[in-house]
Amino acid sequence: MHIMEGGLSWQWCLVWWLIALPFLIYGVHHLKKILAADREALPLLGVTGGFIFILSSLKLPSITGSCSHPTGTGLSTISFGPWITTVVCAIVLLFQSLFLAHGGLSVLGANIVSMGIVGPSAGYVLYRLLRDTSVNVYLTVFLVTALADMFTYVTTSLQLALAFPAETGGLFSSFVMFLGVFAVTQVPLAIVEGIVLALVFKYIITLKPDILIRLRIFSAEKIDEARSRI
Amino acid sequence: MGFRYTLEILTIVAIIAFCAIFLYTSSTMSDAEFAGSDNVGSELIMRLSGNTEGSFQPLIPQWEPPSGEIESCLFALQAAVGGILVGGVFGYWIGQKKKA
Repeated sequence: MHIMEGGLSWQWCLVWWLIALPFLIYGVHHLKKILAADREALPLLGVTGGFIFILSSLKLPSITGSCSHPTGTGLSTISFGPWITTVVCAIVLLFQSLFLAHGGLSVLGANIVSMGIVGPSAGYVLYRLLRDTSVNVYLTVFLVTALADMFTYVTTSLQLALAFPAETGGLFSSFVMFLGVFAVTQVPLAIVEGIVLALVFKYIITLKPDILIRLRIFSAEKIDEARSRI
Repeated sequence: MGFRYTLEILTIVAIIAFCAIFLYTSSTMSDAEFAGSDNVGSELIMRLSGNTEGSFQPLIPQWEPPSGEIESCLFALQAAVGGILVGGVFGYWIGQKKKA
C-alpha cells in the first residue's frame, strides 16, 4: 500500500497530509487520556501495536504473482479505536519511509490515510455494528481485521486513481486497474491475517479478560461466552 | 470442549493453504516475479501518466538502503521490535496471572 516517494504531486501530498494531521493530533491526545486513566491499558497497546510492527514488515507472496504486506491494524482498532491506530501506523510508516525507502516523507500523509485512517475506521464501524449483536467475538475480530486490511488497499487504489485518471475511462477505469494490482493481491493475505489475529485475541482473552471488560471493548457476557469456548 | 483448539487448527490450515497456493502459483505462472505490489503499482502509474521511471523525482530527498541485504536487515529489525513487545507483554500477563 505504500505510495512511493515522488509518486504523487505536491498538491495531492498536501491534501492527504491535511486530512491525516487532525487524526494524528487527536490520536495522541486520546492516547494520553487512555493511558492516564488506566495504566493497565499500556500492555494491551504494546501487544496490539506490536502486531502492526510485525505484520507490516512481512511481505507475503500472493495469487497475482506479486508480494504485499498485511497491515495488522485490526486488534488495535478493536481495542483502542481508529485514532490511536493512526498514531501507531504513523510510527511504523515513518520508520519505513526513513530507513527502507518504502513510501516517503511527502507521501507519508497519503499512506497514513490509507493504512492508519480509512482501513481502521472501516473496521471500527463494523466492530461497533457487531459488538452488540450475538456474533461471536472471534468472528468479529476476523471480519474487522480482514476488512481493515482490504480497505487500506482499496484506499491506496483510490488515491492513485485520483492522482492518475486514465486517458480513456478516467477516474473509474484507473481505479479498477489499481484495484486489480492492490486489492486482488490482498484478498488471501487479509483472510490469513484475520484468522491469525483472531487466534491472538483468544490468548488475550485467556490471559487478561478483565482489561477487555474494563475498557468496554466487549461486554462481560460476550467475554464469558468466548472463554467458555476455549 | 469441542471448540478448544478450533482456532489453532484453523490457523494452521490457513497457513498451509496459503503456502500451497504460493507453490502452485509460482510453478504455473512463469512470469510471476513476486515483486512488491507497490512496484507493480508504480509501473501502472508510469503507464497511466506516460512518464518514464527517471522522471519521478522524490519531492523530499530520501535515503535508500544500499542493498537488499540491508533492507531485509531493517525489516527484520522492525519485526523484532514488534516481537519483543508482543512476547514481553504476554510474559508480563502470565506473570500477573500466576501471582494473583
